[in-house]
Amino acid sequence: HSPLYNLLYSAWLSLVPSFSAMPSYKLTYFPVRARAEVARQLFYLAGVPFEDVRVPHADWPALKPKTPFGQMPLLEVDGKPLPQSYAINRYLAKEFGFAGKSPFEAAWVDAIADQFKDYNIELRPLFLVLMGFAQGDKDQLLKDVGIPARDKFFGILEKLAKDNGNNGHFVGSSLTWADLLIADHVKTVSIHLPSFLDGFPTVLDTVKKIESTPKLKEWIEKRPDTKF
Amino acid sequence: MPLYKLSYFEERGLGEVSRQLFHLSGTPFWDNRIPFDHWPRIKEYTPFGQVPILCVDGEELPQSFAIARYLANQFGFAGKSAFESAWVDALADQHKDYLNEIKPFLMVANGFAEGDKEKMMNEMAKPSIRKYFTILEKQAKDNGSNGYFVGNSITWIDLVVSDHMGVIETLVPNAFDGFPLVEAVRQKITSEPKLKEWIEKRPET
Repeated sequence: HSPLYNLLYSAWLSLVPSFSAMPSYKLTYFPVRARAEVARQLFYLAGVPFEDVRVPHADWPALKPKTPFGQMPLLEVDGKPLPQSYAINRYLAKEFGFAGKSPFEAAWVDAIADQFKDYNIELRPLFLVLMGFAQGDKDQLLKDVGIPARDKFFGILEKLAKDNGNNGHFVGSSLTWADLLIADHVKTVSIHLPSFLDGFPTVLDTVKKIESTPKLKEWIEKRPDTKF
Repeated sequence: MPLYKLSYFEERGLGEVSRQLFHLSGTPFWDNRIPFDHWPRIKEYTPFGQVPILCVDGEELPQSFAIARYLANQFGFAGKSAFESAWVDALADQHKDYLNEIKPFLMVANGFAEGDKEKMMNEMAKPSIRKYFTILEKQAKDNGSNGYFVGNSITWIDLVVSDHMGVIETLVPNAFDGFPLVEAVRQKITSEPKLKEWIEKRPET
């Protein structure tokens, strides 16, 4: 839905007494998927309206000092700010039921997410060159950085998916924000490094199953198309 | 009560916050400290090839912050509302980002890598410390200067920052000048009786 649609819908909701208990949500980020996509998906999966604010890069410097950590994404819940993408993801996932079915399961979701974060840090030099944000030897970086990082992390994921019975989730038996995090990354990788993950068939199968979740499929089809 | 085992190296590092949560809550646990030379042999038997690992009635959980958050939730050190918990998480993630920024300096300062320690301290560590501690100082102030970063009781981010300050002050002189409220959090936390007791008796690392 367009931002205007979301705004009008939120306004309508605020007029309906039985719905006025629902907070108003605003998510602010750059016009890409990257660190805000999981949050956007959680809103859509839960059927909860939110203002999907996409800030052009040129407008960011003026906005930056007004944010708690000088960073995006930023979630606002009834005007109260919350920074840091994983804190936002976990908060929304808990509210909407995508954080695992027990405290221990929720902790495993967190563990996978943090391992993914570590992997992304390792991958960063390659990623920056692939996205055109830095100069570098793509093939050398692939060999030195990309492949070792991939093998370590996706080796873990492949085993997790298999041990979980190849049931379409990386932990437990219901959709969690860790599933969404991995699926979105696999999407980005498939755009820039088509055969990079071919050695991890159970992971790819799990991602296919995740992406076939009806509301998610719907969102993926209608969202703005971005390279990452 | 579940049987808890926390496995980590013989140092504070990423395991200390979880040890402190056990001690603060008075919960018994097996504080399993792995000598470095044992690690290569057991690494492949761990879920992520890393420590710390928490074992709860035989079920394993990796990743230091997942462990800390799980224990904090079990023992009541994760904030008093969902939004407060989320702010503890946000600060913890900011802490992690900051640690990643100064990691090259820490590697050199602790003798794990070659480099110009003085240069890295001035060009990398000090600016990163200033940037992150400015956020922490403001957070402590906005929280009412009550000796906690979030809410009005101890949360695990208080523990993470306090322990980290103990690491930095041995490496960077006057690192916390200009951050009195952050220092006040550390003072409050480390004078909490159960924690004070643990700090006094724990292995010196």
